[in-house]
Amino acid sequence: MRHRPLAPLSFLLLPLGLYAVWVIYPTLATMALAFTDWDGISPRQAWVGLANFERLFNDRVFWLSLGNNLRWVLVFITIPTSLGLALALALNRNVRFDRFLKIAYYLPMVLAFVVIALMWAWIYHPRQGLINSTLFHLYGLAQSLGFDVNPAAARRIGWLGDPNLAMGSIIAAATWQHVGYVMILYLAGLKTVNTELLDAGQVDGASPWQLFRYVTFPQLAPVTTIVLVITVIQSLRAFDLVYVMTRGGPFNSSNVLANFMYIEAFLNYNMGYAAAIAVVLFLISIGFIAIYLYRVVQQEER
Amino acid sequence: MRRIVFASIATLVAVTLAWGAAQSGVLRYNSYMMDPVPRELDAKIVALFMERYPDIRVEHSSVAHEDFKQAIRTYLVASPPPDVLTWFAGERMRFFTRTGLIANITNVWQGSDWEDVYPVGFQSMSQDAGAYYFVPQSYYWWAVYYRTDIYDEVGLEVPETWDAFLDNCRALDAAGYIPVAIGSRYGWPAAGWFDYLNMRVNGPEFHIRLLDGLESYESEEVRNTFAHWKQAMDAGCFIDNPASYDWQDAAEFMIQGEAAMYLMGQFILDVFPADARDSVDFFRFPIIDPDLPVGEDAPTDGYFVSANAANMENAKLFIEFLGSREVNEMWAREAGRLVPRTDLDPNIYPPATRKGLEEILRRADYVAQFYDRDTPEELAGRGMDAFVEFMANPGALDRILADLQREAERVFAARQ
Repeated sequence: MRHRPLAPLSFLLLPLGLYAVWVIYPTLATMALAFTDWDGISPRQAWVGLANFERLFNDRVFWLSLGNNLRWVLVFITIPTSLGLALALALNRNVRFDRFLKIAYYLPMVLAFVVIALMWAWIYHPRQGLINSTLFHLYGLAQSLGFDVNPAAARRIGWLGDPNLAMGSIIAAATWQHVGYVMILYLAGLKTVNTELLDAGQVDGASPWQLFRYVTFPQLAPVTTIVLVITVIQSLRAFDLVYVMTRGGPFNSSNVLANFMYIEAFLNYNMGYAAAIAVVLFLISIGFIAIYLYRVVQQEER
Repeated sequence: MRRIVFASIATLVAVTLAWGAAQSGVLRYNSYMMDPVPRELDAKIVALFMERYPDIRVEHSSVAHEDFKQAIRTYLVASPPPDVLTWFAGERMRFFTRTGLIANITNVWQGSDWEDVYPVGFQSMSQDAGAYYFVPQSYYWWAVYYRTDIYDEVGLEVPETWDAFLDNCRALDAAGYIPVAIGSRYGWPAAGWFDYLNMRVNGPEFHIRLLDGLESYESEEVRNTFAHWKQAMDAGCFIDNPASYDWQDAAEFMIQGEAAMYLMGQFILDVFPADARDSVDFFRFPIIDPDLPVGEDAPTDGYFVSANAANMENAKLFIEFLGSREVNEMWAREAGRLVPRTDLDPNIYPPATRKGLEEILRRADYVAQFYDRDTPEELAGRGMDAFVEFMANPGALDRILADLQREAERVFAARQ
């Protein structure tokens, strides 16, 4: 059938037009901006070639932020993914209250990032926060048992104020939220696992670990790909938690690329420079997004 | 004859109409006054203006301070932009005059008594390249605020010199108090320390030259400033992990009676409950080198008119009203703010404000705005990060200053 009807194309026109105006054009415009020195206000903008990128690659804050993004990726593709998978496996076995537990674990996902950020900022507060208050009482207990600890020290731990702890504290809060998401994805995936294969394995005397490793997990491969790609994209686009909890501080120790870009664009009025950061972030993300799209398309064709 | 009468009447009508047109219509005013006291007064002033000019309808919107600072650029490039806005004098204002977004209001200044009653310093901070763009509304001083009850209990005197200050820190530390609270989560409270130390160690002129890009952050002078900062850290002055707290969080230590001192602006009293205010007083930041002129930070807030204001005539009327003696007096009397006009009786100020004026500002040889108002904003962000980093990691000073100096060179080179 070489002759294609016009109808589908005409139906596509409107969404494509909107997509072009709202997504493709801004993306291209941002890329063009990255080669200018526009300050966000003046009509004047001069072409500066690669100067923004040259400055970027010599900027300590850029490397700090990129490093933090990579740390985020590393933690995210290991901890919340394996926890989510473990939870999904556990809750898939018709345990008691499984419905309640599933909802409980998924609930953080329902909350807006800003709400999570505010909540964890309170939990981490050095004086009144949940963690330090708990530690304070534990230390007090230890002291009364004769151990040489000072309870007051517990209140001095700056989870978000200590440059060595801030990034980890934020990632921990993000992990708390992400686990539920991974769990739901795997729970859905587990429904598609062929039970006949599991039964066959059991008859052949496979241990539970072997069943998981050689029967269940391979069948979850498509889900795992999606989980990994979503996880990586989540880590790269991280902004909300950082912005609300520390604004990238203290002194950029918890900065990430998206927040760095925001600061340059909207606080320092360096639209050109911020666009250069956006382009770099885009190039890093596009690789993962391409894998994701490839997988999705492949699955749909199947 | 009849024709002449008719013509005059017609002219009169036309003039009246034109005059009426100038005084009617809309005026859009955006302000960042959101703390209870200034917010209420701001609304009152707008109401009074509308009473004076019943044909002008003022559309007044108040936006939270931090949000306003970020959004002002979008306001100014909107069409039409707000007609009158609140803003900061000095470098922060000049950023927008350079981009042509602030209206020249030289004729308002010259058509009023302002040049006679605003001190020269306030005139120059309202200008760029010889023209007026701004009208100052109020200013406040910075000082070391301290708990008088803790000072009495430990038996301390108000320190006049740096050594006395360090001794006080040691005594307070030994008595189990946090000598100095500081919440540097957003950087600027640390910039207050830098401003004062640099002005006391190297003099206000050097300080301003540094902030204008004419001196280096890697100079001996600046290193000496940081050496003094290190002395205070070594004397146990500062709270642990200052970057964990925003400025109000850290003030809580002082309110609770755990911390004794806080280098802060006048507005710190706004966060103290009324009953705690009686045990709080302030003193001038100690003198380090008595041979140098004394500099103080006194940030000034005020108003400007958008260059593209849709209601330019109304905007000018309003800003003239805002700079009037009447409005200045309201700020002084009702909000305890220091106002720039000199034709007011100083006795209208509350006692604490009078003390700030007499003991801090009248004794100053030089008045600076504040670090992030005196130096280009994007450099100020890096600078404040640098100060916070120094407080956490003083050993990295060389690298911190080298990074900051490189950034300063880039920012100032881009301005040429």
